[in-house]
Amino acid sequence: MSSRLINQPTEWIDRDKPFSFTYEGQKVTAFEGDTISSALWANGIRVLGRSFKYHRARGILTLANHDVNALMTDGLDTNIRADVLPVQADMTLTAVNTTGGVLKDRSQFIDKISPLLPVGFYYKAFHTPRRFFPFWEDKIRKAAGLGEVNFNYPRIPKPKQHAHCDVLIIGAGISGLSAALSVAEQGLSVIIVDENAKAGGSLTYDMADQASSQLAELLNAIEQHDNIRLITNAYAAGYYADHLVPIVETSGITKVRAKALIVASGAFEQPPVFRNNDLPGVMMGSAAQRLIYRYAVKPFEKGVVVTANDYGYRTALDLVSAGVDVLAVIDMRREGSRSPLIDELKDKQVAVHKASCVYEVIASKHKLGVSEVVICAYDELMAEADTKNKIRLKCDGVAMSAGWAPAAALLYQAGTKMRFDSGLQQFVPAELPEGVFAAGKVNGVFELSQRALDGQRAAAEAMNYLGKSVATVEVKQHQGTSPSHAYPVVNHPKGKNFVDFDEDIQVKDFINAAKEGFDNIELMKRFTTVGMGPSQGKHSNMNAIRILARIRDLPVEKIGTTTARPFFHPTPIGHLGGRGFHPHRYTAMHEWHIENGGQMTAAGLWMRPACYLPEGCHLTAQQATHQEAMAVRTKAGIIDNSTLGKIEVYGPDAAAFLERVYTGKFVRQKVGQYRIAMLLDEAGVMVDDGLACRLEEDRFYLTTSTTNSAMVYRQLQREAQLCGLSVSLANLTGAKAAMTIAGPAAAEIISQFSSVDLAATAFPTGSVVETQIADIECLLLRVAFVAEQAFEIHLPAAAGLSVWSQLMQAGQPFGLQAYGTDAQRLLRLEMGHHLIGHDTDGLTNPFEAHAEPLIAMDKTFFTGQRSLQIIAKKPLNKTLVNFVLDSNCVGELPNECNLVIDNGDIAGRITSIAFSPYLQRVIGIAFVPPEKHLPGSRFDIRNDAGDLIAATVIQSPTELAKSA
Amino acid sequence: MPLRLLKYAISREHPAPRFFRDCVEPKKTYDVVIIGGGGHGLAAAYYLAKDYGITNVAVLEKGYIGGGNTGRNTTIIRSNYLTPEGVKFYDASVKIYEGLSEELDLNLFYSNRGHFTLAHTESAMRTMRWRAEVNKHVGVESYVVGPDEISKACPQLDISCSGQAPIIGALYHAPGSVARHDGVAWGYARGADQFGVEIFQNTEVTRIDVKGGKVCGVQTNNGYISTNKVLSAVAGFTPRITQMVDLQTPIVIHPLQACVTEPMKPWLDTILVSGSLHVYVSQSSRGELVMGSSLDPYEMHSTRSSLDFVEGLTSHITDMFPFLSNVKVVRQWAGMADLTPDFAPIMGKTPIEGFYLDAGWGTWGFKATPISGKTMAETIARDMAPDLIKSFRLSRFEDYELTGEKGAASVGH
Amino acid sequence: MKLLQCPVNGIRPLSEFSYGGEFRTMPDPDSCTDQQWAAYVHYRSGAPGYKKEWWYHMPSGTWFIAERNTITDKVSRTYLLPKMEVAV
Repeated sequence: MSSRLINQPTEWIDRDKPFSFTYEGQKVTAFEGDTISSALWANGIRVLGRSFKYHRARGILTLANHDVNALMTDGLDTNIRADVLPVQADMTLTAVNTTGGVLKDRSQFIDKISPLLPVGFYYKAFHTPRRFFPFWEDKIRKAAGLGEVNFNYPRIPKPKQHAHCDVLIIGAGISGLSAALSVAEQGLSVIIVDENAKAGGSLTYDMADQASSQLAELLNAIEQHDNIRLITNAYAAGYYADHLVPIVETSGITKVRAKALIVASGAFEQPPVFRNNDLPGVMMGSAAQRLIYRYAVKPFEKGVVVTANDYGYRTALDLVSAGVDVLAVIDMRREGSRSPLIDELKDKQVAVHKASCVYEVIASKHKLGVSEVVICAYDELMAEADTKNKIRLKCDGVAMSAGWAPAAALLYQAGTKMRFDSGLQQFVPAELPEGVFAAGKVNGVFELSQRALDGQRAAAEAMNYLGKSVATVEVKQHQGTSPSHAYPVVNHPKGKNFVDFDEDIQVKDFINAAKEGFDNIELMKRFTTVGMGPSQGKHSNMNAIRILARIRDLPVEKIGTTTARPFFHPTPIGHLGGRGFHPHRYTAMHEWHIENGGQMTAAGLWMRPACYLPEGCHLTAQQATHQEAMAVRTKAGIIDNSTLGKIEVYGPDAAAFLERVYTGKFVRQKVGQYRIAMLLDEAGVMVDDGLACRLEEDRFYLTTSTTNSAMVYRQLQREAQLCGLSVSLANLTGAKAAMTIAGPAAAEIISQFSSVDLAATAFPTGSVVETQIADIECLLLRVAFVAEQAFEIHLPAAAGLSVWSQLMQAGQPFGLQAYGTDAQRLLRLEMGHHLIGHDTDGLTNPFEAHAEPLIAMDKTFFTGQRSLQIIAKKPLNKTLVNFVLDSNCVGELPNECNLVIDNGDIAGRITSIAFSPYLQRVIGIAFVPPEKHLPGSRFDIRNDAGDLIAATVIQSPTELAKSA
Repeated sequence: MPLRLLKYAISREHPAPRFFRDCVEPKKTYDVVIIGGGGHGLAAAYYLAKDYGITNVAVLEKGYIGGGNTGRNTTIIRSNYLTPEGVKFYDASVKIYEGLSEELDLNLFYSNRGHFTLAHTESAMRTMRWRAEVNKHVGVESYVVGPDEISKACPQLDISCSGQAPIIGALYHAPGSVARHDGVAWGYARGADQFGVEIFQNTEVTRIDVKGGKVCGVQTNNGYISTNKVLSAVAGFTPRITQMVDLQTPIVIHPLQACVTEPMKPWLDTILVSGSLHVYVSQSSRGELVMGSSLDPYEMHSTRSSLDFVEGLTSHITDMFPFLSNVKVVRQWAGMADLTPDFAPIMGKTPIEGFYLDAGWGTWGFKATPISGKTMAETIARDMAPDLIKSFRLSRFEDYELTGEKGAASVGH
Repeated sequence: MKLLQCPVNGIRPLSEFSYGGEFRTMPDPDSCTDQQWAAYVHYRSGAPGYKKEWWYHMPSGTWFIAERNTITDKVSRTYLLPKMEVAV
């Protein structure tokens, strides 16, 4: 049976574009412009979903993006909101969270056993005896949840856009549109957003006929204005600091930064509460109007309007003009209405009952819809129905109007203080934050002409805030009856009078929660879960507050509200996450590494080769690492060290500055020499180390570890500001490439490109020179970190690849091999060097690492010195040593971070361990008790298998090489 | 259906009494005043009464019970810490939690799901092994697992993380669990109330009186209370309380944010944490994904939400679970975490006689609720901290004896 | 994202900045006691209110001072560290 009306002048559907889709196995027709719900309703389909807890049949409630029971899946996507999602041809939809289809859902038995499920029932049972809980938990977990996620849903990262404007307006109803025009006319830029497919707000369904020309005029003026950008189908998801508002569209998020914000987001219609107010066919008055005016769908054939304000009268007239047989308007107010609409209704033979209520709705067969309503007298002050004389009316629908709750989420998030206006029976802004303004229904202004004025008023205030001088606009106070009812609740001994449709919460649940002590709005929310469903309380929070106020006999303003948090509507993860940038830094030689099989791993932001597995090589990563390390020991190896931090320290006080920051002495350091520079934090913990090269009396070149380079530079900058010394700093980390050539043939290879005498006597370890290599200006250091003979070259990044390639070529006859970070780690272990941050941790002090030679305690001051003085007075807890495993050791090789065990207790841990192919021994570094620090001391390591492996402390593995 | 629910179906009146009395006006004096009606404060009150018979106790809560970090955390319970003292402490907490629903006769939905701390780098793997070794040593079931075992527990996880940060292994922690956070506060409140403890909501402490180095009373917006023993268990509000008694601490407050999605049918059975991607996620018994990330980068005494947080988190979540692109985030929120420099709490006595501190809970307060209540109750009753919390003493900072949790920086939720 | 005024580069989004903690004056290391020094190193004035803080504008490498309310997150002013505030 079709419920589609004849052509409506206001309709959003395109009758020239019909198509069909499938719902629960049934073929359904639709027009372009229909939402899923409107199309289904037009086809006479009433059951659009099942409720979360009791699996009751549900239909249309709001048609305003909080029909949380009408959630669908198309097999791929889930929890699709049928009330607002435009339906598309050939969709195949089913309702989520049913067992065996929406009509015959086998889980509907839960509705029958609902007396066994009192509020908070899951706190009260299933936990004794303890061993049965997993059984119950599994049942509860499976019953909970809404749709099923499809694990094949594609990753759809949506791009993000940024936009800026003078004034951002949320809501393109009459207030927002009027505000936009006022602002734009003063030459300011406006972005105005609305979540509906078309602008116009409530005028697209309420008073749609009378106001259509006024709206068309306004929209035309908006469209003509260059300063206004109107975005429909877009919602403001939240308010964030400094007027940042993410606007969500299907295509992605636009982050709008506005200088001022006008919230004209309207209000949500609130349901009166009576038994079976959730059956399909019972809907908000505004939902009925939306069906008629936007989608040309008749809400029901025969029905009643229950109202607690004057709005219901307009709804009733709209229903009559759509051809609905309106049996009665039931006004819950004692005095009824003085609205002139009453006469119009009477002319149309619609009975009006004041001081009455819908006591209950009688469900049709299988509880799939409405068959009758039961009407009786109602005392609005006592909120009690008088059931002595009940009238039953056969019908298939109920439209209900009880009032409004402001769509004030963004106002709350921005920090607005709201007050309860008892005349309006609504929370309205009392104190707005700087640059935030409110207009229209959200501001408590309901009368049409005043809403337009209120928009202009807010616009004037926003412009004055932005420095314009605009005349203020006066808005009349609300007159006449209240748009919202103080307590539109009808008690019923059998309950099922729903307050929260998301979570199936009835009036008695609140009463019982309060009885158990949850009589504070926040505790009540948590215990009953009111407002915690996907609609976040849009249609339930206000009634919950009213009910609690009544239970506690307090005025509504004493109850307060729960905190509104983002998001205004649930927002997709793919939209929020966006494209997800993962920045990496590449060195100048990156391309070469890739071409030569470099196994790139992340080192902070940088990518570095761990080892090289060139095409056609059949080595494992470990074999390759061993081969690379052996090349360094026997011939020559080269590593890309460009990722080291590189800082130039310049000025007459450069040396004094370094002495203040680092632990060592630099003032008397000779030009052409470098020293190890160790950095501590104020607590005396080792933080970083590097080399300080003195290039001129007043110029140092400083290196830092890769991972700490940004932190060290930042720290040095702050120190430079604080110490008052004459020094400047330049971060050359990205500007310079660096490489180390190590091994017996290193000097010979470099000599082909350099005139520097590299003999150990002429250029010993500790030397640094500014020279040319392959005609490129560079810095050359003789170092001893990975091998006895090694040279570090620092040069402009632009020349990095060229010099590297030339060296590689020239080194070929010598067996020069590129090596990665894994080999480097092994090589330095063979040299007995610890790595800060690898062998030390966030608490290690220099005494524990035997770094005393690097510390000049006799200096006036350096960072960490005063703490070291304190620490020096205390006994050492642990000490870092080199060790070797017995050559005949059997069992599983220990791993880094295996524990040192002494008498069954933890006595330390392994920080580094590796098999050295050169020494043919397993060597490592460990924290051991201080008394074990002497070479020759024995200790036990517990491997992953739980076996104890003996180890011996050694001075340095280099001794093993000598004795071998 | 369990029989216990039957009485609700057959009785006319709702047959459940109040969880705790509606205390309005405090008495003039109490043996112990506990500031903070969160899980910790209520648990301390409960154990003071139950273990030591000290029932003349007032719990003062400036808002509503459980409204602070107790009701804002992501409910993960675990004991896979780095130091033996940390592991022992949290393991004792897990042990109490396991029987707590029965003890308090309130279903806390204590749900043992197993907990994976994912490692995307070799250095993260080293830390996992370190933690595993210490855990095993103390008798806690944690071990290092490879990608295959992770996939087995969570087949939906993209082990390559969309190619951005491939997972190379994880620390598996068998006892890892989640529980209903509100229920923990309510259960302890009810338990304490039954012993006679008085709980005052909407009661804010505005001054603490100290005479001759000893606590003698507290001024509240609800009257003055004389007492010789005050416990501060206020997490994010600790600096405001310690300021009242002129006590210096290292604590700074940074917001910690979280968010939840719409409910969906259960698919994620385990708890997953990724330090590199700054993500932790589990699926609640309601079907929502509960997700969190790292701390906000700067000090703030507010629970405002930020867009950066949810953008970063969701971006990383889609690296792990690409199919979640169209699953929707319903709500985000924040708590105020009280941080210490060594990622361990501050518990026990202070230089002020009768002023006890339970603070520095950073991002791990919920999991410690039962044991912190128990040990603080003992500390107050005996005026001496038990061995289990000695390493968490405030004086460790002046003594340069920070706990080793600082040793390895890792996301610690 | 919040905005912050760099005294050199003007208003920039917070993602360009990094927080450097409260601006604190170091006690004289020669005359202070061990306890005073330990307190300086480890203790912080964690109570809420207006604070002088270090902030760093990363792209330009600028350290500056911001006076910020740690409850409302409102920054009342930002400026480069004046010479006279340089310690020791």
